[in-house]
Amino acid sequence: MPEHAATAPAPAAPSVPAPAVPEGFTTDSADTWHRVHPVSPLVRGWIAVAAVIFIFGRNSLDSLFSGGWQDGEAVTGGTPVLFILIVVGSAVVIFGVAFFLSWRFTRYQVTDENVHINSGIIFRQQRRARIDRVQAIDVIQPLLARAFGLAELKFDVADGGKSAIKLSFLKLAEAKRLRAAILARAAGVTMDPDQPMNVQEAPETQLLALPPRRIIGAAFFSSTTVVAVVFIAGAVVAVTRTGEFAIFLGFFPLFIGIFASYWKTITNDLNFRVASSPDGVRLHYGLLETRSQTIPPGRVQAVSISQGPVWRPFGWYRVQVNVAGYGDDSSGSSRSVVLPVGTEAEVMAVLGLVFPDPGVERPFDVFAAGLRGVGADEGFVHSPRAARWVDPISWRHNAFRATATALLCRRGRFFRSLQVVPHERTQSLGLRQGPLMARLGLVNFELHSTVGPIRPGVHHLSTANGLELFDEQSARAATARRIQRSEKWLQAKQTLPEEPHHGD
Amino acid sequence: MGAGRKNLPKSHSSLIDPVGVNFLPVSKKLITARFISAGIGAFIFLAITMVPLILHLIGVWAGYPAWLAWAAPAVVVVIVGWEMLLIPRQVRAIGYAERDEDLLIRGGILFHRVMVVPYGRMQYVDVTMGPIERMLGLSTIHLHTASPGTNALLNGLPAAEAARLREQLTARGEAKLAGL
Repeated sequence: MPEHAATAPAPAAPSVPAPAVPEGFTTDSADTWHRVHPVSPLVRGWIAVAAVIFIFGRNSLDSLFSGGWQDGEAVTGGTPVLFILIVVGSAVVIFGVAFFLSWRFTRYQVTDENVHINSGIIFRQQRRARIDRVQAIDVIQPLLARAFGLAELKFDVADGGKSAIKLSFLKLAEAKRLRAAILARAAGVTMDPDQPMNVQEAPETQLLALPPRRIIGAAFFSSTTVVAVVFIAGAVVAVTRTGEFAIFLGFFPLFIGIFASYWKTITNDLNFRVASSPDGVRLHYGLLETRSQTIPPGRVQAVSISQGPVWRPFGWYRVQVNVAGYGDDSSGSSRSVVLPVGTEAEVMAVLGLVFPDPGVERPFDVFAAGLRGVGADEGFVHSPRAARWVDPISWRHNAFRATATALLCRRGRFFRSLQVVPHERTQSLGLRQGPLMARLGLVNFELHSTVGPIRPGVHHLSTANGLELFDEQSARAATARRIQRSEKWLQAKQTLPEEPHHGD
Repeated sequence: MGAGRKNLPKSHSSLIDPVGVNFLPVSKKLITARFISAGIGAFIFLAITMVPLILHLIGVWAGYPAWLAWAAPAVVVVIVGWEMLLIPRQVRAIGYAERDEDLLIRGGILFHRVMVVPYGRMQYVDVTMGPIERMLGLSTIHLHTASPGTNALLNGLPAAEAARLREQLTARGEAKLAGL
């Protein structure tokens, strides 16, 4: 709910004549603050409320029952009912006051430069994040929030996924408007001088939508199923050997876990859609809790395309990215997955989106060789023969190829993956060599990317290749950094090549 | 090991050093510092493992097997001796080189490692000094980029050199500043 409590003349910002424009969004002057939607504490805290009601309700029902049974007649007369009323009443009051205060003390503001959020009742917190530092923006709708038409806006900066600015909850339209405004500011859009604060949401065009049967199929043809089959077989063997059906009960928690894993994958990935917009890649997914993620251009630090042995007959791949704000997905979320399961054509389409300039002629052939190739096809440089002593299975699969804009690292024979790191996103490089590798003339090359599921590198290169790659890659990264596009992606053209650095 | 061994004494080099780069060594005092800290560790472990031996020898704990009582401190002595033997070579293997665009760091005698950190990628630089290092006038400098994989740690720089390097690195980092 926008609260225009103080539309008092802000000294620096231009005056705001239009209080509520239905389309477009006005950023705030320094004195304008907003509050999140009043029901949001309830939406956020409903589990706690439900748990309290459940535990207390069950206990009191139990006591009602046992009291009735023990004494043979209804002795549950006045006191328990009064007691229950008091407890319920005080719980309502306590939750209500807490919710009201937490709502009352949370305020936010989106100015042209920063996002501010003030929160906390006893320990106050004022957080301010620079808009041009945004790495990604999510609009998340948990099930209950959807019922209220609310959404959470999550603003990620490059802190390895630790903490982001979260606005929960806003009306869905409001969240979308804020997202558009933040992205427009971050893009450095030149503003219309007549209406300096009006931003339209950038149009998005849908690139692909994954059919539900693929999502479900991919969930069933996965390593989870392999585990499930192994355990079911084990259980069946154990039962037939011993004749004790109780063994099945012992396996029961495991089956629940497996089922939960299927459930999580399917409900999370259903309705997966990928769209492109001037503001970046946009992903929509989720059955119960829906999310829409926006990754602005130039925020993708690394891409990996992977395929396990079960998916190979179907030609399915999974695409993940490293984005500085997403962290490493260790908390069980899968925000870094930009394509949960896709065919090769879909993978190429998504790659074209997150990584528009492959920097090579015939990119399809090169990337296909990176996905499925073996040996030295398409200019890939693989491990030397000596590497078969340490890696007999996949030495011809471990390979790299540098294009004009990125380094492609191929890896694995049964669990294949291709990692793509744009040169201008290289953080640092390393070479490692143990005693056995030194004797065989091998070296491991590693490339450091931001926190994320992808840790790029090439294993077991010949020492000569490794050294050459190390030197060339640091030179390429340096060149790419110099001509790197601006962080404000729509201003990019103005700030292109500066003078080559002094001193060499 | 084989091929690298003959190069090891004096100016250490490994097979994976980039060609044409002149690595600067760190201070020789780092050998002393590492001897001291290894010695302290050894003393503590030795003291702990000596307790059963002494108890056994004075007859308080006669049931304790004699071979074990002697073996535990002996193992500690062997390990510490081996460690001490390696320290000078390890320290000589550490090197760094400032180039126009980046800083190179190398280290390790058995497990070689070379790392290059571009100045424009540095997020911050730490200079730290432990008690032993302070006694010897040494500092440790740690470069952080946005990647957790960047483990760019340089031990045993003379304090003045560490301060110079820090200033140099931050100045160059600013000049070459790139986004993420």
